[in-house]
Amino acid sequence: MKLLQKLADWSIRHPRTVMLAVTGLVVALGSQIPRIAIDTDPENMLPADQPARVLHNEAKETFRLYDLIVVGIVNEGDPDGVFNPASLARIHELTRAIEQIDGVRRQDLLSLSTVDNISQGGPGVVQFEWLMRTPPQTREEAGAIRAAARRLPLIDGTLLSEDGKAVAVFVPIDAKSESHRIATTIDEIIAGLGGDEEYHITGIPVAEDTFGVEMFKQMGIAAPAAGLIVFLLMWVFFRSVALIVAPMIVALVTVTATMGLLIGLGFTVHIMSSMIPIFLMPIAVVDSVHILSEFADQYPHIGDRQKTIRAVMDDLLTPMYYTSLTSAAGFASLAFAPIPPVRVFGVFVAIGIGLAFLFTITFIPAYVARLSDERLATLKREQRGPHEETLLARALTALGPRTLSASKAVLIVTAVVIAVSAYGISRIEINDNPVRWFRPGHPIRIADRVLNDHFSGTYSAFLVLEYETPPGEPEAFDTVIANVLDEAAGRGAVDLTDQWSALRQSVASTPAGATLDALIDAVWGKLDEADDEEAAIWEAVLLVLEDAQTEAKLFLTPEALAFIERLQAQLGTVDVVGKSSSVADIVKTVHRELREGDPRYYSIPATASGVAQTLLSYESSHRPQDLWHFLTPDYRAATIWVQLRSGDNQDMRRVTDHVERHLAANPAPEGVSLNWAGLTYLNVVWQHDMVNGMLRALLGSFVIVFVMMLVLFRSAWFALLAMLPLSVTIGFIYGLIGLVGKDYDMPIAVLSALTLGLSVDFAIHFLQRARAIHKEEGEWRRTVQGLFAEPARAITRNAIVIAVGFLPLLASPLVPYNTVGFFLAAIMAVSCMVTLLLLPSVMTLITKRLFTWGI
Amino acid sequence: MRYHRLPTMVAVTALTLTARPSIGQDLSDVDEIVQRANLATYYAGDDGRAGVRMTITDAQGRERIRQFAILRRDVADGGDQDYALLFSRPADVRNTVFLVTKHVGADDDRWLYLPSLDLVRRIAAGDRRTSFVGSHFVYEDVSGRGVEEDTHELVETTDAFYVVQNTPIDAGSVEFSSWTVWIDKDTFLPIKVEYVDEGGEVYRRIEALQVAEFGGHPTVTTMQVSDLRSGGTTVSEVRDVEYDLGIPESVFTERTLRSPPRQWFSVR
Repeated sequence: MKLLQKLADWSIRHPRTVMLAVTGLVVALGSQIPRIAIDTDPENMLPADQPARVLHNEAKETFRLYDLIVVGIVNEGDPDGVFNPASLARIHELTRAIEQIDGVRRQDLLSLSTVDNISQGGPGVVQFEWLMRTPPQTREEAGAIRAAARRLPLIDGTLLSEDGKAVAVFVPIDAKSESHRIATTIDEIIAGLGGDEEYHITGIPVAEDTFGVEMFKQMGIAAPAAGLIVFLLMWVFFRSVALIVAPMIVALVTVTATMGLLIGLGFTVHIMSSMIPIFLMPIAVVDSVHILSEFADQYPHIGDRQKTIRAVMDDLLTPMYYTSLTSAAGFASLAFAPIPPVRVFGVFVAIGIGLAFLFTITFIPAYVARLSDERLATLKREQRGPHEETLLARALTALGPRTLSASKAVLIVTAVVIAVSAYGISRIEINDNPVRWFRPGHPIRIADRVLNDHFSGTYSAFLVLEYETPPGEPEAFDTVIANVLDEAAGRGAVDLTDQWSALRQSVASTPAGATLDALIDAVWGKLDEADDEEAAIWEAVLLVLEDAQTEAKLFLTPEALAFIERLQAQLGTVDVVGKSSSVADIVKTVHRELREGDPRYYSIPATASGVAQTLLSYESSHRPQDLWHFLTPDYRAATIWVQLRSGDNQDMRRVTDHVERHLAANPAPEGVSLNWAGLTYLNVVWQHDMVNGMLRALLGSFVIVFVMMLVLFRSAWFALLAMLPLSVTIGFIYGLIGLVGKDYDMPIAVLSALTLGLSVDFAIHFLQRARAIHKEEGEWRRTVQGLFAEPARAITRNAIVIAVGFLPLLASPLVPYNTVGFFLAAIMAVSCMVTLLLLPSVMTLITKRLFTWGI
Repeated sequence: MRYHRLPTMVAVTALTLTARPSIGQDLSDVDEIVQRANLATYYAGDDGRAGVRMTITDAQGRERIRQFAILRRDVADGGDQDYALLFSRPADVRNTVFLVTKHVGADDDRWLYLPSLDLVRRIAAGDRRTSFVGSHFVYEDVSGRGVEEDTHELVETTDAFYVVQNTPIDAGSVEFSSWTVWIDKDTFLPIKVEYVDEGGEVYRRIEALQVAEFGGHPTVTTMQVSDLRSGGTTVSEVRDVEYDLGIPESVFTERTLRSPPRQWFSVR
């Protein structure tokens, strides 16, 4: 503390050096900002090696699953919906144009114009043809396309709505980070199409990438707007532009230096870190406002700016040091969260708080020391005249004594608030959905609503089934082959047992899934060299191996497909699931068409080879590659594509829970493991991690702050009192979230750290001053009078400046920014009220204990 | 049935693909070039037989095998043809039979027999650009694209090749906007084919990697098709090629579907 005191003193004496040093630091760090690398991918909420994320990426690779942009075309006016020649012609044109966009995986694009139809071409004739190679000329033809598409389970509900009013185009893209650009290009194409159809574009990648783009716009608009309002409010309070420029500079310098450091150290700017400026600004301004408030109050009495600032710094240095330390601790605790962007966010906000403190105790005194007396003269004049300032002062002065008489009432009200908050907290719903990061009126939200109304769901999750041969089990084919060889040797033919053993040995190191293929290839090699007698035996061995190979292709077996079928039936019972698709659907559809389109044969063939031959027929279409989104070429892994109408974490969670319950009663075939993949699921995982991480961080920093308070006040009572405002504020804020039914999502989770950091500030200032004044006055009533002069004014000014200053965030089209704006205001209002009402009331009741113990 | 793998089998004159000076006079009539290429590629001998092994590799390098014996009989050179395919690998599609009567200038007749479902079905397709049994080849690559379906332009004559660009007359029936073929000046076999999409980009390529002569007929024995968009490839290896066996017409009738005559289908 002595050191800090010296630093502040030194700054008052060497203002020029301080200014130069600050400028140098800001220029050096600020010069890094142009190197900014943006990362808007919520997937990065999980560490790259997080198991669920690894599985997700493996599934994407294995099944060639790409992130999807969904374009919906709706025609409500036409009696046939979109199934009229004009609308379909436009959809066709749109599809062809989308195929040409760079970054679109055109061979996997799903549209009426790009998929195959399998149907009856007459008795005994199976027909494979494009569903809509060219747009139809007549309404009858358009109707025929609709009827054909509705017979294809893979397409029905996905590419066209049941009522025929809407069709969709699923656009797979190479990289999520390209979605905003591609979506914008699609918008431009649509603008040139004409017609009465409505077009909607949605999909998680679009929501995420668009959010990123909007987010950076908001950084450019919201943060400066907040800065402007803070500036105006300070002007209202202090009436001295020269004076209030100082906190603005501190805020600007802090934000620039912190972001420069973050970028310079090579961190990407994620959704979370983009919020750092908005979080740092109020924190950076708070301390300066305390100093200016005191300075403005004391300067007219003392008259000398150097003496005044020195006195002010003496009063405030300790509380400022502790408020900065506690705020920083609150955010630094996020470093233990399991989510990398949250860690970066927490650590850099903590660093920013440290920088802000440093700038506040060096730059502010230096700046004030350099101000001319003429400029400060306004401060003197204004202080004398009647204006709002005295209104606030009068109100606070009047409030002070009442807290003494009404202390019991305040406690009762507080108890009620705590009880209601507890009830609210119990009702908190943990939920998130990137699409809901936009306001309800945003085109992405509208598209989301309309398309999920018409179709089976624009949110995707994938249930991945993998088959591993149980390890260590002796292979059945070994026994059979041994018999074949023995039998051959027995009847006097050549004995190939040794050769076989050598072969078997040679593939010992091959991975389990490939052993049979390797053996079969090796036996083929033997066949090439063998004479007729040997060849006959090798042929027999080959047959055994090939039979075993067929069996190893688990997802060709009717049993495994039936398991998938049952799983899908269960998935269908969850209301949010619009539809699920799998290889079983393909097999059943093709089987039906092979059997004259008879719906009774919408079933899985009785044998694995029957399934294989059904799939062989399917592969003779225009898009055989579609099969490999559902199956691996070794038939040992399969996936079920689950389409959901909502991307809410809770809804996804209900689906996974339901599957889990079903599996408990109906276990998967032996050796089959099930895992979830897909962005909708991944969001559940990181959110779960985050909520837990935040809760731990909050509890951890609660303890740390309490320990700090013990060190600061050296009194358990004061430390407990200091914890009171933040506890009540956090309780109230989260109670409110529960009561109004706002989902506990990413921004809210992060706000807990801010709440803790900011609401302890006021308590520290209040209690520190209470003690100092009581030491002088020696009496509680007069102490309260003193407290409700300058200290209360500084706290109230601060609360108003920050609460009102961040209201522009409410105008942002992004919900997380609204949330931050609203809760900053609420945090300020509540913690200010709790500090000024509850603390003196409690202190009144325990005055004796407080001021006899400790000091 | 006994199969011999390709490398041990190509003992016959393997023709290298490097440029060699042409013996005769260069042809300048593109229609003649195209006709001769069509005959050399699809009409060698009056009939023929081969064992084919297709290795389908996807972009991730995962392989699958399709193995079958193929029989062919020409009704007339450059005219109608019959094809019969009997699958042997993988084991789960063994004895599946595919029968085709190719009609020049009209839709082909295709039949499929699926033994495990005991089903004979005629297959009708709107076009010949459907996948050949899940490989990167399309049906048309196997049975030939009618020369009358494109306009042809001789764009270049190099030391070794006639380079012919072909533009479909009915653009709506195919997914490419043109295709260019490099025809060997001596054998008239297409050595490279590239398909160009509407954006002018080559998205698909077929290459003859190995050519050998059987009974006086140069034959492509290793052929690779690359899907440049997905990154997948299919390599087709041909072995036990024989021509002019005198395969009777009756082999190519519906009866073959359920009971393929072994003597004709057994590749040595």
